Amino acid sequence: MAEQYKDKKEEILKETVKMTGYEDAGFDWKSEKRVGATKFLTGLGAVAHALKMADIDVASSYPIRPYTGAMMMLSQMAARGELDVEFVHGEGEHGQLGIAHGASAAGARAFTGSSGVGVMYAMEVYSPISGGRCPVQMLIGNRTLDPPGDFGSEHTDALSTRDQCWIMGWAHTPQEAFDNTLMYYRIGEDPRVYLPQMNCQDGYFITHIPMKVVVPTQEKVDKFLPPLSFPDALDPLNPLGHGPQLFPGQGHVLEATRVNAMMGAFPVIDEVVQSFNSIFETNYSPFVDLYRCEDAEYVLFISGGHAYTAKFAINHMREKGMKIGLVRPRFIRPWATDVLADILSKFKAIGVVETNNAFGAARQAGILTLEVATTLYQIPNKPVLTAFMGGLGGEVIRLDEFYYMGDVLAKAAKEGKTERTAYWIGFHNI
Amino acid sequence: MTTLLEEQVQAKVDLPLLQNIHKAAALDEIYVPGHRTCAGCGPALAYRLTCKAAGQNSIFLGPTGCMYVANTSYLCVPWAVPWMHTQITDGGAVASGISAAYEARIRKGKYKGTFPNIYVFAGDGGSSDIGLQAASAMIYRDHDAIFVCYDNEQYANTGIQTSPQTPYGAWTTFTPPGPKIPEAKKLWPKDFARGMIALHPALQYVAAASISYPVDLMNKVRKCANVHGSALIHIQSICPKGWGIRSNQTLMVGKLAVETGMFHLFEYENREYTYQYQPKAFKPVTEYLKLQDRFAHLKPEHHAKIQEFVNQGLKRCGIKIPVEAV
Repeated sequence: MAEQYKDKKEEILKETVKMTGYEDAGFDWKSEKRVGATKFLTGLGAVAHALKMADIDVASSYPIRPYTGAMMMLSQMAARGELDVEFVHGEGEHGQLGIAHGASAAGARAFTGSSGVGVMYAMEVYSPISGGRCPVQMLIGNRTLDPPGDFGSEHTDALSTRDQCWIMGWAHTPQEAFDNTLMYYRIGEDPRVYLPQMNCQDGYFITHIPMKVVVPTQEKVDKFLPPLSFPDALDPLNPLGHGPQLFPGQGHVLEATRVNAMMGAFPVIDEVVQSFNSIFETNYSPFVDLYRCEDAEYVLFISGGHAYTAKFAINHMREKGMKIGLVRPRFIRPWATDVLADILSKFKAIGVVETNNAFGAARQAGILTLEVATTLYQIPNKPVLTAFMGGLGGEVIRLDEFYYMGDVLAKAAKEGKTERTAYWIGFHNI
Repeated sequence: MTTLLEEQVQAKVDLPLLQNIHKAAALDEIYVPGHRTCAGCGPALAYRLTCKAAGQNSIFLGPTGCMYVANTSYLCVPWAVPWMHTQITDGGAVASGISAAYEARIRKGKYKGTFPNIYVFAGDGGSSDIGLQAASAMIYRDHDAIFVCYDNEQYANTGIQTSPQTPYGAWTTFTPPGPKIPEAKKLWPKDFARGMIALHPALQYVAAASISYPVDLMNKVRKCANVHGSALIHIQSICPKGWGIRSNQTLMVGKLAVETGMFHLFEYENREYTYQYQPKAFKPVTEYLKLQDRFAHLKPEHHAKIQEFVNQGLKRCGIKIPVEAV
């Protein structure tokens, strides 16, 4: 497959250089009129800048690569006196989340973060935080789970916590990571929601690669994100209890209120993204980023940082006349079933690019395929669905691998079927 | 007329020490009726005394344990102050977060009251076993909060299982006696409070108290509250159900634990230990052991072993009153 692009090597190299960011990325937000200081920031740097502007009160840290840099930057801001924050060194990720839980329950805007096995170590505390309706924000710089030690980026860490009632989504550039940090706090702190948020970005590909980020003025951030108002804060002047035991007959009712909070986030996300667009002059679509989908017959469905490379691959394949597009969900939780069903029903074939693994799951693919397949269930004429297992162990998904996916999808769209429910990228020549 | 709470939120004042039981009894009840603890429950009494001493400018945290499950029913909790459940694992971490939140909010002008006293009321499992890491971290970071270990020497909420505080020789559902293991529990308990002192040089005040000595207990709680930084109090809290005694024997058994040297009342302040119970002679441990069903299977040689352990403990405290094994 890579053969036919051999003559384009120079061009691909040029594009790749452009992708490192000094140049405008050249697509979807070219029309934006962002105003502010232009900085060259990694994904972690972008989040740290946004946290400073969000005036967080408490941060709890524990070192694990690759997210650690965000905490290093926050600690520098605190040391220089640029950010008035209680910076607490957690005794582990479990403690980190406990600290953030307590801080949020006491009315503070709290931040924490982790990666890989660290995300898993805190597993016990995710449900108590969302059940307590504490709007903590957690940065996840994705990292492959052990064994063995692997610094690469896979989404399995964060996706394993997807059912703990946290708002969750991925940024695909440092600029989006900056913007999501502000948007997530506003969504999670909305009285109709009051839920914690997982602000995810791919380890290394986003956390460590600097790109252009336009940092808006503090005045605009203050206009967008008001101070946290949490009426159920632990306060001796207004005594109340958090988290007493339930009797039979109460559990399902309480669980329903948490479901309502998550489902209630849909209109809030719509409002918040519109408000963000109008204040910062951006053009985000709330739930889904569509790239060259207008006349597309088949699409890649992809979440996170690899979508950035995929967009370049799609440009190249479009030049060859292939009718391919890209659908990128901006939120994994809540999952915008109806919006996605409406969009996906228009295509003949869909390839879900999985940068996670769900061992032994239906279709022998990853976690997103399960969600997409369920979404498609309500469509009368279902597109062909397959999965591409790529980027596992933190491997780069190369342009030629996206070209391969394009070829598989083109064939699937033409024939109305695929040979496999999951293609392992990098193994397909074996 | 201003209430005590209003005074406290206007300017943080030290809680005065109590001279006698009458002064103590006259204080407001913060731990109020409406719970489901057993008759003769020692931990419930520990809670009541701690809350009375703590007063209204307080926040209580309840890591999972019998004092969570037996006390709370949804929409009904028996505290007249803010209370929050934490996981059994992370009482110290949540207290750290609350303490940090108040530091930041008061400094940034986002909260108008004064700093509250934050109490983690953890069982011995939530303190010395699964909760040890979070407890240690809270104290190491010296957050302004009080760690209370109410020690009933077992995992009681789950139906009496062994914990690191369960004494040698005790029956629990995980350490039943049998021909192969005649003494039931074979391990010696952790020396929790002294261990925490050894680990944490920043720790300014630590106390060990018993529900059978209420004024002593309440004053120790108040001294904890008056510390700026972390403080720790370890309270022996007798459990009639788990220990196999009658519900009217709780206070008597608590007294005997102290009188036999099985449990030491002490304070650690200004880097010095002081012992509040120093009699002319300690009673033999057999008097304590024979009252409790959990020790009913023990043979004289086991009693002798426990007596030796207690004598060594007293010697280490500098209390040179040897007791002969009976």
